[in-house]
Amino acid sequence: MSLRPQPTQHEKVLGENDFIVSKTDLKGLITYGNRVFIDISGYSEQELLGAPHNILRHPDMPRSVFKLLWDTIQAKSEICAYVKNLAKDGSFYWVFANITPSFDSRGNLIGYYSVRRKPKPEAVQAVSGLYRAMLDAERRAGDGQAGMKASLAVLHQALEQKGMSYEEFVFGL
Amino acid sequence: MKNLSLGSRVHYLVALTLGLFLVFGYLVATGSGRVSTFGWALFAVTALLLGLTLYTVHRVLLAIKNLTKNLKAAADGNLDQRMTGIKKGAATGELAWALNDLLDQQEAYFREVFSAFDHASQGKTFRLAMDQGLHGAFKDAMTRVNVSVESLGQVQHMAIKERLIARITDLNSGNLIENLKSIQEYLMSMTQELGVVGQISKETAQEAEGSRTTIENLVANLNQVAEMIAQTNAQTTLLHEKGDEINQIVQVITDVADRTNLLALNAAIEAAHAGEIGKGFAVVAEEVRTLSENTKDAAASIAATIESFGEATSRMIKDSEQVKEIAEGSRNAVRDFRSQVLKFADSAKTSMVQVDKAQDFSFASLVKVDHFLFKQNGYRVLHQGPDSPEARAIRTDHRECRLGAWYYQGQGAEQYSHVPSFHRLETPHAGVHASIQEAVNLLGTSWDKDEALQNRIFSHFESAERASEEVVHILDQMLDERHREL
Ligand SMILES: Cc1cc2nc3c(=O)[nH]c(=O)nc-3n(C[C@H](O)[C@H](O)[C@H](O)COP(=O)(O)O)c2cc1C
Repeated sequence: MSLRPQPTQHEKVLGENDFIVSKTDLKGLITYGNRVFIDISGYSEQELLGAPHNILRHPDMPRSVFKLLWDTIQAKSEICAYVKNLAKDGSFYWVFANITPSFDSRGNLIGYYSVRRKPKPEAVQAVSGLYRAMLDAERRAGDGQAGMKASLAVLHQALEQKGMSYEEFVFGL
Repeated sequence: MKNLSLGSRVHYLVALTLGLFLVFGYLVATGSGRVSTFGWALFAVTALLLGLTLYTVHRVLLAIKNLTKNLKAAADGNLDQRMTGIKKGAATGELAWALNDLLDQQEAYFREVFSAFDHASQGKTFRLAMDQGLHGAFKDAMTRVNVSVESLGQVQHMAIKERLIARITDLNSGNLIENLKSIQEYLMSMTQELGVVGQISKETAQEAEGSRTTIENLVANLNQVAEMIAQTNAQTTLLHEKGDEINQIVQVITDVADRTNLLALNAAIEAAHAGEIGKGFAVVAEEVRTLSENTKDAAASIAATIESFGEATSRMIKDSEQVKEIAEGSRNAVRDFRSQVLKFADSAKTSMVQVDKAQDFSFASLVKVDHFLFKQNGYRVLHQGPDSPEARAIRTDHRECRLGAWYYQGQGAEQYSHVPSFHRLETPHAGVHASIQEAVNLLGTSWDKDEALQNRIFSHFESAERASEEVVHILDQMLDERHREL
């Protein structure tokens, strides 16, 4: 994979009537992306196919969000998350991602399917504040398990304060 | 040519080939058998174009085969397939992307629907299906799906709630009946015991009343005795005084006798002086002297008698004084005793009233509990069915139940029929029985499928509740009215 794009302050916004669709295999390697995905990410279909999904990883995202994401989908459940993504040209775009596991006709897990929609601006505002706090905690605790733990603790504390589950929280925004 | 659409590319190639072929044919027809170099070149181009056309058609057919495979899979319900590696500007590219878009719409639609229903069935109604990015009919359908998701959520919520309520109600009413039964038993034995206590305190009050008259008699007797003693005492004193008077009289008599004796002596001496003449007189004088001597003796013996009599009376006075004191003492003791007995009699009477009241209260509580139980049994039929023991218990008539027996022939009829509220009890009491019985009769029908029947059952239970409230209220009033008289 080529060098990561340098993040800029330029924001791209997903259309109200569009959604990004992508599919991955069990390891998170992209097996399909729709044209909206190709357009907004700035990568060609050839570049995307077979690439790991973290090609879009933005440095402002706390790692623990992706841990939560993977833990959930590997348990064959649905996850919804606000994600800040990095396009090929360094610009960013916020999405409300919904990832669900895919099964074959015999019920075996064969990959993951993701639909990403345009999030509400208020939700982005609330989430970016929370993510910043989580990222800070993560960095303060250092890398590895400790950082992950600290960052998740911030999330759980916020949820506890609201008296909500994670799902209730993201859908309530 | 690259930027032409699939159809026009094929048309173009076919038209061009046909045109060139016509030109070639014309040249052959007019060129007197010989084909010029130009003619051969034309032929070669035509053949090339034909080859290109065939290749394009082959590519198109291949793409169509691919698309068909995906469409077939989609028709079989497998929405996972996508066309990938689509060449930019390829003849079938647009078609492939259109198919992908269609599958994206369908797959996103179904996954959203599943997620939303899954969540709703777990009571998580906040997870609605997202229609953002869906187009046309998919978007419209999603709006309707969300209406059902919401109502499913509500139904789910209600069903969960209902199930719990039903279970708890069942548990509660089961226990309630047990609790009520134990209270009923307790009240029953309390009513019985209070009856016994009431009987005892009634007897006690009667006995106390009896003792009271006995004591009254005793006091009267003692008073009489004391009075008699006082009288005797007075008479004895009088007697004592009379003794003194007699003593004085005896003294006088003795004096007279002494002086008579002296006179008789002198007369005898004078008679002796007178000789024979005085002889007779001397005899008289002697007789007088003897007489006075006798009188003196008699007086002396009277004095002695009186003296001993005086001693006896003064002893008697002293004794009677003591008796008087004793009598006085007894009288005081009896007076104390009497006031104690009076107090006892009074408290026996009040305790009798108290016990009477307590018995009434406990009986009233008992019949209240009876009716709560009666109603509870009615409610239990809802769960236990019309053949349950609960349903059988409901058949008791309002004349046969405990309150009925009390009201129509028992203590109630005896002791309460005169209080103003008594007659108001009958209607609501009969109402409780009738309403519950009617509700239970309807519970024997197929009420679970008929809302009108359910409404009727409910209204019977409702009127039973109202009637039972009234029964309780009137019972309290009856008790109050009677107890104010006591
Ligand atoms: C179906 C699917 C979609 C994903 N979409 C994104 C995405 O849009 N942005 C992103 O940063 N990571 C996404 N991920 C997560 C990445 O796989 C990866 O975990 C994440 O970028 C963090 O990178 P890291 O695991 O190398 O730390 C997705 C994963 C799956 C399975």
